[in-house]
Amino acid sequence: MAGLLTERKPFLLLLVLLTLNLVLMSSRVRSDGRGTLLEEAVLSLGAPFLKAASWAAGSSVRSWKAYMGLRGVERENRRFREEIRDLSAKMHDAEEALQEARRLRDLLDLREQLAYPSVAARVIGRRAAGGAKILLLDRGSGDGIRPNQPVVTPRGTVGRVIEVSPGISKVQTVLDPNSGVAALLMRTRVQGVVVGEGERGCRMDYVSELSHVEVGDVVITSGLDQIHPKGSIIGVVSAIGEGEGLTKIIEVRPEVDFLRLEEVVVLLKPEGPPARETR
Amino acid sequence: MRIARGALALGAAALAQVLLSSYLPALARFCDLFTIVVVYYGLTSRPPAAMVMGTSAGLVEDSLLGAILGLNGFKKTLIAYLVGSAGSLFMLNQAIPRFGILFVASLLDPLAELALSVAMGQGFNFPGAWDLLRRGLGNGVFGLLFFWVAARLP
Repeated sequence: MAGLLTERKPFLLLLVLLTLNLVLMSSRVRSDGRGTLLEEAVLSLGAPFLKAASWAAGSSVRSWKAYMGLRGVERENRRFREEIRDLSAKMHDAEEALQEARRLRDLLDLREQLAYPSVAARVIGRRAAGGAKILLLDRGSGDGIRPNQPVVTPRGTVGRVIEVSPGISKVQTVLDPNSGVAALLMRTRVQGVVVGEGERGCRMDYVSELSHVEVGDVVITSGLDQIHPKGSIIGVVSAIGEGEGLTKIIEVRPEVDFLRLEEVVVLLKPEGPPARETR
Repeated sequence: MRIARGALALGAAALAQVLLSSYLPALARFCDLFTIVVVYYGLTSRPPAAMVMGTSAGLVEDSLLGAILGLNGFKKTLIAYLVGSAGSLFMLNQAIPRFGILFVASLLDPLAELALSVAMGQGFNFPGAWDLLRRGLGNGVFGLLFFWVAARLP
């Protein structure tokens, strides 16, 4: 009998344990739902460990989330920087387009006011070799441009066409020492000739010493050279000096900013003094 | 010493299960650490010790989960006995057989609960086949990991 019990010990133990569990279940099913002593004991014993572990796990999770959040912020920051760069470039382009639109609108207004048909052209090159102040335009004889046609902007006179090719033309500016523009002082109607002085601007020659001239007087084209139409602004008197003989030395500051000149209008005047044409 | 280790393993399993349920509930559905501990003891201990561990693990699980006290105790005791019996009949010290026994133990758990519920006249929603499969696979994978770690403990 004892041998049988020993041999069947695991099975008996199983029965005992299963019965114990069944009894526990039965008591719980019959009870009003309150926890048993064993449950309360397990919970009481485990509570501190559970709280500590939960706190540790919660802290780890929060730290991890914060770390991931920081990584996200860093990534977001990089993205924002790229966007700012893109937007800056776009803003720059927009600003450029806006300025161009303003200039073109001014040119358009000018063309509407002009007495001659005209062609708008872009400045595609500058030459200053040997003191000459030359501009290259992207329009040529194919667009109706001929030598000795005047070139203007809304601010004032630029110069005259001296050479043309089918797709390009060369303009001698009023800054060129070889240029000469018949001019007059708008206030006193005193006449003279404006010649270029390169970087220094222009000079108005042949003005009598007896003429009344003041700094700030506006110098305009007189039209006597048969190239430039009368009344186009050349510049403003910036200094007056005593010349040799019977004339004054009048320094003229051109109204046009030649360094920033981008678009001009060529007046398609039908006639003008003969000049060289190249092919 | 063995009792202390058993208690420690049980405590660690309880703690890990609670944390898993709190922070990774999706994973906790497919990983029953109590079953894994019971299977481990069923394979590595004598049947009486395994059954005691099964009952203890089940009761602790019941207490923590707020289930009917004795329900998991009953199931885990049964699992420990069957696993212990299987361990004495077959060589279950390789990874694949152990995975298999963990998988079967995972299936036994809901089956035993179904049987108990029927016996007690209570309703029980038996999990679907896909759910059972995932539970078995999850316990198998985590169980093998547990065996691997336990084998390296002093």
